[in-house]
Amino acid sequence: MEAGLHESATLADVDRDGALAEAVHELGGDTRAAFLRKGALVAGGGLALGAFPAGFAIAQGGVPKGDRKILNYALTLEYLEAAFYAEANAKGKLTGETAHFAQVVGAHEAAHVEALKKVLGAKAVAKPSFDFQGTTGSEKTFRKTAMVLEDTGVSAYQGQAPNIKTTAVLASAGAILAVEARHAAWIRDIIGGGQGVLPAPAAFSTAKSMTEVLAAVKATKFIKS
Amino acid sequence: MTPDITHLERFDTDGALAEAADGLSRSSFLRRSGLLLGGGMLAGSLPVAFARAQGGLPKGDVAILNYALTLEYLESAFYQKAISDGALKGEYARFAKTVGAHEQAHVQALKKTLGAKAVKRPSFDFQGTTGAQATFAKTAIVLEDTGVQAYQGQAGNIKTPAVLKAAISIHPVEARHAAWIRSIVGSGNDPSPAPAAFNPALDMASVLAAVKGTGFIATKSAAAGAAVGAQPAMTG
Repeated sequence: MEAGLHESATLADVDRDGALAEAVHELGGDTRAAFLRKGALVAGGGLALGAFPAGFAIAQGGVPKGDRKILNYALTLEYLEAAFYAEANAKGKLTGETAHFAQVVGAHEAAHVEALKKVLGAKAVAKPSFDFQGTTGSEKTFRKTAMVLEDTGVSAYQGQAPNIKTTAVLASAGAILAVEARHAAWIRDIIGGGQGVLPAPAAFSTAKSMTEVLAAVKATKFIKS
Repeated sequence: MTPDITHLERFDTDGALAEAADGLSRSSFLRRSGLLLGGGMLAGSLPVAFARAQGGLPKGDVAILNYALTLEYLESAFYQKAISDGALKGEYARFAKTVGAHEQAHVQALKKTLGAKAVKRPSFDFQGTTGAQATFAKTAIVLEDTGVQAYQGQAGNIKTPAVLKAAISIHPVEARHAAWIRSIVGSGNDPSPAPAAFNPALDMASVLAAVKGTGFIATKSAAAGAAVGAQPAMTG
C-alpha cells in the first residue's frame, strides 16, 4: 500500500501478489450487469455533450472488440480516479492549490468517465465500489496517491495507444493522455516545487502494459468490488 | 495577455507557410553526412522504439519525424538561449535546465532515427523573448502547448508502430513541460496547468503556419515545407 514519494514511485511498485488474472477477469466479464446499470445511468445522465472530443463521438457504434477492451480498461482507471477525487473533495481536508487541483482534476476525470461510457454504450463496464484506504483523509497522503494515480494513468494510456485500431479512438486517447500527463506534472509541482519530485522526471515517458497496470491497481486494494 | 493553447496561431497573419515549402532534403543530406560523423549521440537516452525504427521508414513517417525534429530544434535552442542569457531564477531556471535537456534528448533521438534523412538545424532568432523571465515563461507556455498539440495531431498518421511508440513517449513529456511552466506562472490558477479535460490537437499545417508566424526561425528551413509537401493524406 505504501505508494512511496520518490519520483519513480508507481503503482507497480506495490504489486507483490500478482493477483492480476482476477482483475482482468473482472474487467472482461460483467457486461450484462453493466448493461442493466447503464440503462439507469444513461437515462438519468445529464451528460456534458459539449465536452466530448470529436473523436469519441465519431467512434460510437462500431468499435472493434480489442478497442472495446482497451476502452473498458481506460474506463476502469477513470472510474478510480474520479472516485478518488470525489471522495477527497467531499472529505474537505485539502487546502489552497491542492484543493484547487482536486476540484479541477476531479472534474476532468469525471468528464473522461462520461466520454468513455458514452462511446461504449451498453458495453461499458459497471462502476466498481472503492475503498481508498484512508488516503483521501489528509493532504499529504492525498498528494502522494494522486501523483501515483496520475503517473499510472499516463503510462496506461501510453501503453495502449499502439494497440488501438480505430483512428477516432486513438485520437481521443491521445487527447486524454496529454491531460493525464498535465495532471501528473501539476501535482508533482505542488509537492516538490520543481525539485526532488520533478514534474517531468525523464525525457521519455515509460509505457506500462495492461497487465502491469491492473496488477498494481489490484494491489492497492482501492477496488472493492 | 495570458497565452492560451492556441496562442501561436494568432501570430500567423501572412499565410507564409508555402514559402517554407522548398526542398531542403538535398543540401541537408550533404550536411548531415558531416554532422553524423562528428555526432557524439547520447545513445543511452534513446528510447528502444526509436532505435528499432531505423532503416526503411515510409515517406510519410519521415515527414512526420522531420516535422517533430524541427519543433524540437526550436524548443531546444530556445532553452539553450534562455539559459545562456542568464535572466532566469529559482524554479524558472530549474525548469529551463531540465526541460532544455529533455528537448535536446528528443532532438538526438529523432536525428538518430532519421539518419541521413534528418533535416538540418535552422538558425533561430527568439525575438528577445529569452532575455526576461516573464517573456521567457509566456513563450515557453506557448511552445510547450504547441508541442503537445503537434505530437497529438500526428499520432493517427504514423504508420510504423515503433515510431508511434516513440512519438507517444514524447507526447506526454511535452504535456508535463506545459503543465509545469503553467504551474510556475500561475500557481494552479491562471494559466491552469490543465486547462481542459481533453487536450486539443493541431494539424501540421496549422502548427507550421504558427511557428512561421513567430519569426523565430531565422533561416527558411524547408524542414517544415518538406514535411508539408509529403503530407497530402493528412486530411484524407
